[in-house]
Amino acid sequence: MLRRTLRPRVLALPTVAFVVALGALWALDDPARPASTPAVNPVDLIQRGNAELQRARETADPAHYASAETMFGQALRRDRRSVDATIGMATLALARHDFRRGLRYAQRARRLGPHLARPFAVLVDAQIELGHYEQAGRSLQQMIDLQPNLASYARVSYFRELHGDLTGALRAMRLAVSAGAAVPENVAYVQTLLGDLQAMRGQTAAARRAYTLALSGVAGYVPALAGRAQLDGATGHLQAAIRGYADVVRRRPLPQYVIALGEIQQAAGRPADARETFALVDAERRLLAANKVNSDVEIALFEADHGDHARAVDLARRAWRAAPSVRAADAVSWALERFGRPGDALGWARRAVKLGSQDPLILTRAGLTARAAGHAGEARRYLRRALRANPHFSVLWAPRARNALRGLR
Amino acid sequence: MSRLATVLAVVALALALLAGDASAHPLGNFTVNHLTNVAVSDDGVQLRYILDVAEIPTFQARKQSREHVLARARQEVARRLNVSVDGHRVVLRDAGPALLSFLRGQGALNTTRIELPLRAAVTGAHVVLLRDGTYPDRIGYTAIVAQPGTGTAVRSSVPSQDPTRGLRTYPPSTIQRPLDQRTATLTVRDGAATLVAPRLDGSDTVTTRSGAGDGFASVFENAAAGKTTLVLLLLAALGWGALHALSPGHGKAMVAAYLVGCKGTSRHAVVLGVVVTITHTIGVFALGLITLLLAQSVLPETLFPWLTLISGLLVVAIGLGVLRSRVGHHRAQRSHHHLDEHRHAHGTSHAHGHTSHHHGHTSHHHGHSHDMPDTITRKSLIAMGAAAGLIPCPSALVVLLGAVAQHQVGLGLLLIFAFSIGLAATLTALGLLVVHAHRLPIRLAVPKRLLSALPAASALIIVGLGCAIALQAAPKLL
Repeated sequence: MLRRTLRPRVLALPTVAFVVALGALWALDDPARPASTPAVNPVDLIQRGNAELQRARETADPAHYASAETMFGQALRRDRRSVDATIGMATLALARHDFRRGLRYAQRARRLGPHLARPFAVLVDAQIELGHYEQAGRSLQQMIDLQPNLASYARVSYFRELHGDLTGALRAMRLAVSAGAAVPENVAYVQTLLGDLQAMRGQTAAARRAYTLALSGVAGYVPALAGRAQLDGATGHLQAAIRGYADVVRRRPLPQYVIALGEIQQAAGRPADARETFALVDAERRLLAANKVNSDVEIALFEADHGDHARAVDLARRAWRAAPSVRAADAVSWALERFGRPGDALGWARRAVKLGSQDPLILTRAGLTARAAGHAGEARRYLRRALRANPHFSVLWAPRARNALRGLR
Repeated sequence: MSRLATVLAVVALALALLAGDASAHPLGNFTVNHLTNVAVSDDGVQLRYILDVAEIPTFQARKQSREHVLARARQEVARRLNVSVDGHRVVLRDAGPALLSFLRGQGALNTTRIELPLRAAVTGAHVVLLRDGTYPDRIGYTAIVAQPGTGTAVRSSVPSQDPTRGLRTYPPSTIQRPLDQRTATLTVRDGAATLVAPRLDGSDTVTTRSGAGDGFASVFENAAAGKTTLVLLLLAALGWGALHALSPGHGKAMVAAYLVGCKGTSRHAVVLGVVVTITHTIGVFALGLITLLLAQSVLPETLFPWLTLISGLLVVAIGLGVLRSRVGHHRAQRSHHHLDEHRHAHGTSHAHGHTSHHHGHTSHHHGHSHDMPDTITRKSLIAMGAAAGLIPCPSALVVLLGAVAQHQVGLGLLLIFAFSIGLAATLTALGLLVVHAHRLPIRLAVPKRLLSALPAASALIIVGLGCAIALQAAPKLL
């Protein structure tokens, strides 16, 4: 009788019913499922998606990416050939550092709207991030011919900066500022970039003015506050820099700001504070991974300088595979150097500076790598270039570059 | 089989309540979200300031003690949450225990949740202005929600609806259009607890009357204000409890499956109902007490998962117990038959030694073949009822805490008791229904084999339900 009771056939029915009921419930109770789907046209959806992207820009909050994706996805389901929704998807992919996907969307947007300037913005960004510099240069020329505006001038400036043409980059960024834009944040953004370029050239007063202008356009504009803190740090006002970065981190705890704060704290002889600050970077690494944002270059450099060298190599390699840019090459090179393999690192360092970069941080790292690999002449060249534009570019790195150069003489 | 379907449907309903929401902070890991509930009554302005801090800002404050975190929030509110009545700024005082809790968010990091009940004693207010200037440079969802207050008719510039349910969920609409509502104007006249407020989408106005919107909790507010007599109130609590038991998650499925599994009688159903009443009352009291003791540091949200887990494990144990007793029963029957045959085979040589045994055995066997054994012991019945009543519903807890906040503890306890009786009445009625429906399959001549499988199947359902409850709690505790 017991055996009959527990016969699988008899038990199967309630068990299956139970499982089905469970499954149905969980499906019905899905909180992500919208309660009702109102009729929305693609234009509204694209506008809302772009608003989300702009909000993500302003707040640096990756959670906005998810809702932007929903909007653009819905718009594309309603109109598969929508140029703007495709551009939106490209922007989203780039924001998430999925550059190949970004490039595919950008190319598709370009095909859907062959006479439009808008798709070029995402196309150029994707090409630069993926290290397709020659193609990026050609796309950029077409873009600026079609529409010389803030977006195209800012990209021209970055392109020139990458190629070591700081004077040309400054000129283009001034044009971007004077071109203006409807959204105040966009203007503040290029004003801040102008300040960064001026700071890189050692034009401290001009840089400070640019940051102040950005802040008068958008009160509390965080990148400009960070620029000011960076200036304070580079000019040796460490306490002011710590205060400035602490304020920035309180407002927008982005990894790059948190790392900068920790490094200034280290430089100011406050290692306990720096450790606390770096713990936050680690928490953010986990959160960004959970949000599928892959900001490997920044985190890889952080791991190389302050964390786990093996992890740094792994992260940098993955960053290179995702986007073989000069920035990724710099990260791989530095991670390998710190890992104790300067010989392997040197090739990557050469890739990082091959465009003629004048970025003092990249040049210092390349110089230190070349020195460790035993190439004294090459190391001297990189280190001199790092210190040429501005001998006080960083409170942490400029002394290291100077010491290394002195040791090489 | 229709009974089984009913049981499954109830199981399904119970699980609907338990299905938790995703732990990801929907408005992002950088945000500081705050919401102010405001009600103007004839003797003052009541506020409830709710703060929901996402993972990164919570992590940034990780070295601060709970007291410090709470003190910082209080300081921010004292400085930047301004209420002015007819042009004069008023002082806000605590109107109950502040709650602080750390809830598990993304990336194994915590989020912070704080609730501050505040109050300004003002009579004869005409225009109340509220300005929430807290956390000006942090991004996040900011909202003000108006509620009706006793003895007033209020016209509000802000909606009375709150899609976030007190910053607990962020539906897609709030993400698509993040609110930054920082000011509210409330014009006040004498009235009967009414509120005219715009709809959430700003299209139209809607009138809310106190008591219509928030069920039992607002009934209580009326009582505290002395608008309803005690008897009416207790009746209301009773009826509300009875209705509330129909909402998912009050162990109906467990009770039903248990009574089916054990072939319970009407008496069992009634006893079960009584036990549920007692445990539910005790459960709410205990949780209320714990909440009050931990008022400075813990929110009920953090306690619920533990209670759910304990309850789930208890149900699993009971289910296994029922299953074992069914199995044991069948095994006993089989072994009796076997013994009989054995005895016959060797009867001649051992006849004398077995005679008395034989007699006793036969009568025992008799009992089995004519009547199912009473596997419902007092102990298991109480355990089952305790499990069903152990998960106190938040709605009841709200009533108790509301009573405590308004210094009406005695009334609150009484109301909870009435509420529990109503709850148990429904459960008992359901139990009786199940017990009587139990006889249906015989009349409908369902195959005997299927009928004998039912108790074991329902025991398995009890086990499955217990597992499901325990598993629901698990992710919130990890």
